[in-house]
Amino acid sequence: MGIFDKLFSKSSNEIRLGAPAAGAAVPLSTVSDPTFGTGILGKGVAIRPTGNRVVAPCDATVDLMFDTGHAVSLKADCGAEVLIHVGLETVSLGGRHFTVHAKNGDHVTAGQLLIEFDRQAIAAAGFDTIIPMVICNTPDFAAVTAQTAGSVQAGDTVLTLVKA
Amino acid sequence: MKEIRYVITDALGLHARPAGLLVKEASRFPCAVTVGVNGGAAVDAKRILGVMKLAAKQGMELTLTFDGPQEEEAADAMAAFLKANL
Repeated sequence: MGIFDKLFSKSSNEIRLGAPAAGAAVPLSTVSDPTFGTGILGKGVAIRPTGNRVVAPCDATVDLMFDTGHAVSLKADCGAEVLIHVGLETVSLGGRHFTVHAKNGDHVTAGQLLIEFDRQAIAAAGFDTIIPMVICNTPDFAAVTAQTAGSVQAGDTVLTLVKA
Repeated sequence: MKEIRYVITDALGLHARPAGLLVKEASRFPCAVTVGVNGGAAVDAKRILGVMKLAAKQGMELTLTFDGPQEEEAADAMAAFLKANL
């Protein structure tokens, strides 16, 4: 493939990931937990949720559903390793306010329900309910770009990955 | 080849944040670093998903191995990291 083909055929190398929840899509850097905000876990995006459902951003295999239900990692069919973390510090809830709808090894399709969470109860308990979604194998991609234009429905494109 | 062991004292175990920090620390060194829990299969300590999948909890023992350039420095740094964070 020549250089011009590479320049102009990028669409075939692009992978789009949908919002894992309805809400406002915001830059990962706005997440107050530096583990996410500084990109230690990889590049990504965050959703300030307005609902109570977390869905698969793409077709994927569930790699690890945390037994506390506050986070899930996915191995996407496209090769991305995706971590979705529901709220900050929510590991300490020990599973309260979370209901899991998928288990390790399940193959899920884009939009399929993974976790339900009681957003109001989690907020009332003093937790930030923001949902960071990060690509843990960011170095495997030429680019990971967030679309943070604001209000999104679950499934609207919020991350675009370009294959290396 | 160096090996260190550490029993997790943090009540929340090896959840997303410490897993991310562990990977970041291990990635500072050129040697191969693996981590396993309670004698089980070890994973690459430089890949987040694998480390999180260990689902290591309080009271479980981590075994880390270091093989290659700077393995001594890496082992010392990870021992200090584990004590400070887990």
